[in-house]
Amino acid sequence: MWRYIVRRILLQGIPVLLGFTFLLYLIITIAPGSPVTHLRGVPELDTSVIAQREAQLGLDQPFIVQYVKWLGRVVRLDLGLSFDSARRPVVTLIGERMPATIILSLSSIILGWGIGIPVGILSARYQYSIFDYVITFFAFVGISIPSFFFGLTLLYVFALKLNVLPAGGFFMAGEAHTFIGYVRYLLLPALTLGLGSIASVARYMRASLLEVLNEDYLRTARAKGLREKIVIYKHALRNALLPILTLMGFMLPSIFSGAVIVENIFTWPGLGSLAIQAVNERNYPVIMGINLMFAVLIFLGSIIADVSYAFADPRIRYE
Amino acid sequence: MKKRLVIVLLLVLSLSVLVSAQEVPVQGGTFRYGTTINPRGMFNPVLYTESYDAYIIDVVYDGLIEVDANLQPQPKVAKSWEISEDGMEITFYLHEGIKFHDGVELTAKDVAYTYMTILHPEYTGVRYGNFNMLEGAQEYKEGTADTVPGIEVIDDYTIRFKTIRPHAPLLVSFGYGILPSHLLADIPVGELETADFNLNPIGSGPFKFVEFLTDQHVTLEANEDYFFGRPNIDTLVFQKVSQDTIPIFLQQNRIDFIEIAPDQFLQVSEMDHIDLYVYEALSYSYIAFNMRQARFDDARVRQAITHGFDRELYVDLIREGFGIVANAPMPQASWAYTDEGINPYPYDPELAAQLLAEAGWKPGADGILEKDGEKLEFEFLVPEGSRLTEQMALLFQQNMEDLGIKVNLMFMEFSAAVDRVDAREFDTFTMSWSLAVDPDPYGIWHSTSLWNDPGFFNDESDRLIEQGRLETDIEKRKEIYAEWQRLINYELPTMFLNYGVSIGAINERVKGIDADPGPYGPLVGRQLLTTIWLED
Repeated sequence: MWRYIVRRILLQGIPVLLGFTFLLYLIITIAPGSPVTHLRGVPELDTSVIAQREAQLGLDQPFIVQYVKWLGRVVRLDLGLSFDSARRPVVTLIGERMPATIILSLSSIILGWGIGIPVGILSARYQYSIFDYVITFFAFVGISIPSFFFGLTLLYVFALKLNVLPAGGFFMAGEAHTFIGYVRYLLLPALTLGLGSIASVARYMRASLLEVLNEDYLRTARAKGLREKIVIYKHALRNALLPILTLMGFMLPSIFSGAVIVENIFTWPGLGSLAIQAVNERNYPVIMGINLMFAVLIFLGSIIADVSYAFADPRIRYE
Repeated sequence: MKKRLVIVLLLVLSLSVLVSAQEVPVQGGTFRYGTTINPRGMFNPVLYTESYDAYIIDVVYDGLIEVDANLQPQPKVAKSWEISEDGMEITFYLHEGIKFHDGVELTAKDVAYTYMTILHPEYTGVRYGNFNMLEGAQEYKEGTADTVPGIEVIDDYTIRFKTIRPHAPLLVSFGYGILPSHLLADIPVGELETADFNLNPIGSGPFKFVEFLTDQHVTLEANEDYFFGRPNIDTLVFQKVSQDTIPIFLQQNRIDFIEIAPDQFLQVSEMDHIDLYVYEALSYSYIAFNMRQARFDDARVRQAITHGFDRELYVDLIREGFGIVANAPMPQASWAYTDEGINPYPYDPELAAQLLAEAGWKPGADGILEKDGEKLEFEFLVPEGSRLTEQMALLFQQNMEDLGIKVNLMFMEFSAAVDRVDAREFDTFTMSWSLAVDPDPYGIWHSTSLWNDPGFFNDESDRLIEQGRLETDIEKRKEIYAEWQRLINYELPTMFLNYGVSIGAINERVKGIDADPGPYGPLVGRQLLTTIWLED
């Protein structure tokens, strides 16, 4: 097992990350637009400043030199300094926003899986019942409704009209830091972000369980007189969950990217706004840093998913 | 008789209520100032470039002067100043006893440090252009001299700046916050931008910096020992608010002041506890012609296109009335604005057609104007991101089609569009300018300037711009700029669309604001944060 993991990292992970960062750096440097565009806002700018700034940021060097220098720093775990006027370390910029992003993503995952799986199971078990139809209807609505629309609707109802939940933010300056206080701020964005996952997890769970329910070994289980509850929760569910594990690996990045919009609507201090701002400003080190981090996370996620198969499915062994 | 007494009593009572509510400030409370973009964390007056960092800098530091609601310099750290006869020497006399937040006294040495830093060869900020006319500045910047004769500390409370020629815009440039040299002088100027100080700023201003939480808020507390009197509010918070949720934040009393978008005006105006103020901004939007191209080199063509675009309709319909049709690059909010002898270029398609015909453009077989076999067809570069701009572009395209001009819209992401403009690879484009306090148009309009995007090279214009910089008498400067505006108004290197208008939303519990706001709004930028108070 450990040999397998090490081999994946060395032979697959490192080359993939190298290729990925090389291509990304190439794309962002050849894309039109420049990191010094914002100097346009300064009418009294002295002509020397633009060239000076470009030299300071290393933009006067060829792409390959810039990339190799960047790579050299990354190897020493340094993501460089942001190109914006504050020149703060990219690691700090990401680190400051990580907690909010993780809290939001985790809660939406918990909501998505915690609600989606049971709903999907019930929906499959009582297939073609009223309950199933209602759930199917709401699942489709949940998948198709854009998160910015759903988020603004929630805000309109709960913040503006009912005035029971805050209009956004993480918490307000001067407020007491209480658990309930944080939950009040978290509720609407987590629900907005989680809605899509609840719906799609429920749909997948239902389909996966229905497929398993038609298998021969379940007929055997029923035939030998097992109660329906045990047939479903003990025999069917474990097999039906396998494809859902794969789904989890796929959904992780989409949850992070969905967070960009939700963070913006709810003034949530996460990575999303940083990423968008960095792209708009051609802030190379920040774009690279965030993408590198996600690439590593997705890669690790895929290893974890593969390894967890081994635990969930005795037929799979890695050597 | 009795009745009258009651009325008189009531009058007295209401008067006394008025007096206590209007004139006796209450101390205490938290004022929340809403911003849609979070500061970067560069709280250093010589290095910041984002206006959102300036919010914090404005209240943490004080400058030699400050600019009032009429854009005129007023004393601050400098209690007074003298300008020499020839206009080439400004001597500032500083207040004695002003203290930085760490208790150290502010002296002329700190002022010298602040401005020497801007001139330093390794300085990484963008302000050198404001001060490069100081005597010896260029030599110092280039590293051929170790001192700047143009900055002279006379004594602890007197400092003199000398320029190599009169430079009228200089005085209002002395508003930059004064840095504490005792904390910074040991840091090499080239490394200043990564100094810890920038995130833990210490100035001499009305508020002390407490905390910066990325993408959430910045907290400041009243400076008890502030030289010009302790602020009435105890705590000042700059609260980040997502653009879409501004009305809800206002409704929930989570912010006391914010500038809102025109399409939020109606919703916010229905809130009883929020007062709205509309004021002219120091900005304008425009459509630039690339005058390097022969077809746009003819003033009649530029004038015709301007006559042919219904800018009134654009302001009334698309901007919902929030804007003022512009015909020259000096906003009404500026003291240099004039409408004397300024052609308003009303919407007049017939006149436009006539001007185009005079310039030799005749309708071709397909209805598109032609001259010497070339069609009047051009690309219109429109940066994405603003719904109003995109709608304006569609209206423009339609108006031009009526004239027989084919406009091809090119929507492009902002930074990419700027690339095209910088490379001069455009026919026409639209953008807007936010202007500085001083009306000096040199940086945007002089033929040698970086941002002269239309390629407007006009000797008379250059002469007037240079003359305006040399003239230190404000009345004479006004006349020079009026003449220059008439020239630009005739030449139209760009079509001026509209002057900007800002809308300030403020909670009615905030007292002591400027109820007839100039371009900086009801708080005069951040200046009145020191004196406003909160009812209840």
